[in-house]
Amino acid sequence: MMLIDNKKGWISWFNPIKYGMDRWLFALHRLTGIFIGLYLIAHIFETSNILKGPLTWNNLMVFLDWPFGVHLGPYILSILLLAVVFHGFNGLRLTIVENGLMLTKPYRPDYPYEPKSLKGWNLGLKILTAILMIVIGIIGIVYIFTGVLL
Amino acid sequence: MTVQVILKGFGEVVKEVTFRVRRYDPEKDNTPKYSEYKVPVKKGMTVLDGILYIKEHIDPSLSARYSCRMGICGSCAMIINGKERLACQTQILELNKDLIKVDPLGNYNLIKDLVPDLSKLFNNHKSVKPYIIRNDNPPTAEYLQKPEEREKYAMFTECILCGACLSACPTMAADDLYLGPQALAQAYRYIADSRDMGFEERLNVLDSKHGVWRCHFAGACSEVCPKGVDPALAIQLLRGVLMKNSFFGYKQVPAPVGKERPTVVEGLKVLEEKIKESEKK
Repeated sequence: MMLIDNKKGWISWFNPIKYGMDRWLFALHRLTGIFIGLYLIAHIFETSNILKGPLTWNNLMVFLDWPFGVHLGPYILSILLLAVVFHGFNGLRLTIVENGLMLTKPYRPDYPYEPKSLKGWNLGLKILTAILMIVIGIIGIVYIFTGVLL
Repeated sequence: MTVQVILKGFGEVVKEVTFRVRRYDPEKDNTPKYSEYKVPVKKGMTVLDGILYIKEHIDPSLSARYSCRMGICGSCAMIINGKERLACQTQILELNKDLIKVDPLGNYNLIKDLVPDLSKLFNNHKSVKPYIIRNDNPPTAEYLQKPEEREKYAMFTECILCGACLSACPTMAADDLYLGPQALAQAYRYIADSRDMGFEERLNVLDSKHGVWRCHFAGACSEVCPKGVDPALAIQLLRGVLMKNSFFGYKQVPAPVGKERPTVVEGLKVLEEKIKESEKK
C-alpha cells in the first residue's frame, strides 16, 4: 500500500485560526520564545562590542536607536518588553496548570461539549496574564519613550 | 391508521454549495490536489451526506471512511473548513458557508483521498496498555468500585478513537513519536481507575522523551473532540500524578474483590483446564 506523509509540520504551530484561545496563546508563546531567544543572541553580540572601545560602542548605540536613519529603537524595545512580559507570565500560568493544579476535576461531558479544562481558574489566570501584560506594558512603554517611571 | 409526521422544509433543496475536496489517488497522483463539486443542500444534510452525494452522482472514485452515520463509530473524522470534525455530525447549513473545504485528518499517513492511515493512533493506544492491570490472583467476582471513584475517569471512557485530537495537536505536527492526546488520556483513564494496579508498568512509556511532557497544553485536542472527552485535562492530571510520583511516590490502592461468585469460579476452572490442554497440545 502506497502511503504519503500528511504531517502538518512545525509551520502549523503558527496557524491557530479556527481554534480557541489556548491554541492562540500556544502560537504566541512559541513566537515570543523564538523572538526572545534571537534577541538574547543579538544582545550578547551587541554588549561584546564594548571591548572594541567607546567610539565603536557609541556608534553601535546610535545605530541601534536609529537603524538605517529611522528612530525604531524604542519601538523594538517596546515589542521586546511586551514579548518578555507575555512569555514570562504565560509561562508561569503554564507551569501551574501543566502540573494538574488549579484545573477542574473530571466531569461528565454535556452537549455542546465545552472543555472545562480551558475555563475556570485557568481562564482566570489567562485574564490575570492579560491584565499584568497591559499594566506592565503601559508602564514600560511610557518609560522607554519618555524616561518617566509611572 | 397511520400517522404522518411532516417536518417543515425537510427534504427541500435550500441552496447549492461547492465542496472543495482534497483528492489523492496513490495509483495516479504524486501529490494531493483539490477538486470542486457542486452539491444541492437539503435541510438536515450533513457533510458526510454531501460526500456520499458526490460519490453517487458526480465522481464514484472519491473515497471516504464512514460507518455508523450517527457520531458513534468515529470513522468519518476529517478536517472540514479548517477544523477537525465528524462529517456525519456536521450540518452543512450550520457551517453557513457556500464553500465547504474538506481535507483528510492531518498528522497521519494518507491512504487515499479522505482516508487516513490510523495505525499511529492504534499503536500509541496499545502502547499505554489500555486495560485493567492487576498483580494479584484472577478475580473470583467483580472488583468493587464506588460511584465517586468511577467519576474520576468516567469522562475519558467516552473516547471513540476517531483520531481528531491527534490531527489538531500542534506537538503531533512536529513529533512523529509523540504518544498523542488520545493515548495519554486513556493512560490516565486506567491509572485513575481504582481497580487498576498498572501505574508502574505504564510509567516508562509515559515518562519518556515523547511521552506526557511533550504536551504544551494548546487545548486544541479538547476543542475538537466530538464527544467532549477533554484529553488536555487528562494529560495535565496525568502530569500531576507523575510529579507526585517523583517527589512523594504514587501508590495505587487496589479495589477489593466482591463476594465470591460460583459461576465465576467455575468459569475460571474451565478456563484453566483449557489452557492446560492447549499447553499439552
